[in-house]
Amino acid sequence: MENDETVNVVEQLELVAKAFVDHYYHLFDNNRTSLSSLYGTTSMLTFEGQKIHGAEEIARKLIELPFDHCKHFVSTVDSQPSSVPGGILVFVSGCLQLPGEEHFLKFSQMFQLVPTSQGSFYVQNDIFRLNYG
Amino acid sequence: MALPNQQTVDYPSFKLVIVGDGGTGKTTFVKRHLTGEFEKKYEPTIGVEVHPLDFFTNCGKIRFYCWDTAGQEKFGGLRDGYYIHGQCAIIMFDVTARLTYKNVPTWHRDLCRVCENIPIVLCGNKVDVKNRQVKAKQVTFHRKKNLQYYEISAKSNYNFEKPFLYLARKLAGDPNLHFVESPALAPPEVHIDLAAQQQHEADIAAAAAQPLPDDDDDAFD
Repeated sequence: MENDETVNVVEQLELVAKAFVDHYYHLFDNNRTSLSSLYGTTSMLTFEGQKIHGAEEIARKLIELPFDHCKHFVSTVDSQPSSVPGGILVFVSGCLQLPGEEHFLKFSQMFQLVPTSQGSFYVQNDIFRLNYG
Repeated sequence: MALPNQQTVDYPSFKLVIVGDGGTGKTTFVKRHLTGEFEKKYEPTIGVEVHPLDFFTNCGKIRFYCWDTAGQEKFGGLRDGYYIHGQCAIIMFDVTARLTYKNVPTWHRDLCRVCENIPIVLCGNKVDVKNRQVKAKQVTFHRKKNLQYYEISAKSNYNFEKPFLYLARKLAGDPNLHFVESPALAPPEVHIDLAAQQQHEADIAAAAAQPLPDDDDDAFD
């Protein structure tokens, strides 16, 4: 049996995860340059198999993607507490549309959010894949 | 190779994979062929649109199932499933964007890792645009790897049939094979300066007579 406190913690976690996901894709689709503020110096991104370290390099990779405004459509968001105190694992699935492309591309993405001393979160781990054969 | 939901035909057909950086005009190029455009099919699990392009040769009809991506290459490389069972290929770059030519060796390597010894055509697209960044004589990659090179302009239909004729001859093993009828193409959206392009073609012929630059990294500046 879950007690009320556990239920409350789980709800909080899901609220944070949902809010983060909305914020992340809003920035990605409208202003990719500002994504750098979500990462830290120890952050890691694995983007379609390419491993990238640190906020600066991650921002460069995301900014240099060869398209302008794309559109993400999120289908599912799942979350769990991670083993880092206060940390959250977030797993997203959905599809995205690139400018000038007729067809949607399916994707999945996983984040580990770690709390900062200011009471906010940053992305410690980010793994992105397009889903197709 | 046709998709499972696509009509097969009783004349020779081949899977043709088209690769190259995003924005080089791969989709624009395959869409010029009108019957192929009418019969195209999308397969979402692979993220590929397959256009069946028919051509009429002196030995009968031939069909290329042209595989075109849904833009995945803008995120990185393509999966093996895109290349697998490829029987011929076109590598496309944009003569107005230098980086797209610099990336040609990577596309060639990825392609050859899955498809060994298939005929390949290198196409420099957008030769209708005035400010070229890649001059005809700077294109040397095809000579190192034994590929055919054509300058094309998808929007004006310039040289549209050339890559297919080269591949058809290689696949048929008949260097004298020729097309007896043109496929229906979308009307040209731009016109190219034929005199200027004839000069470029002369530059290509002259460059082919020069020794290859001995840089190994295929870079140029």
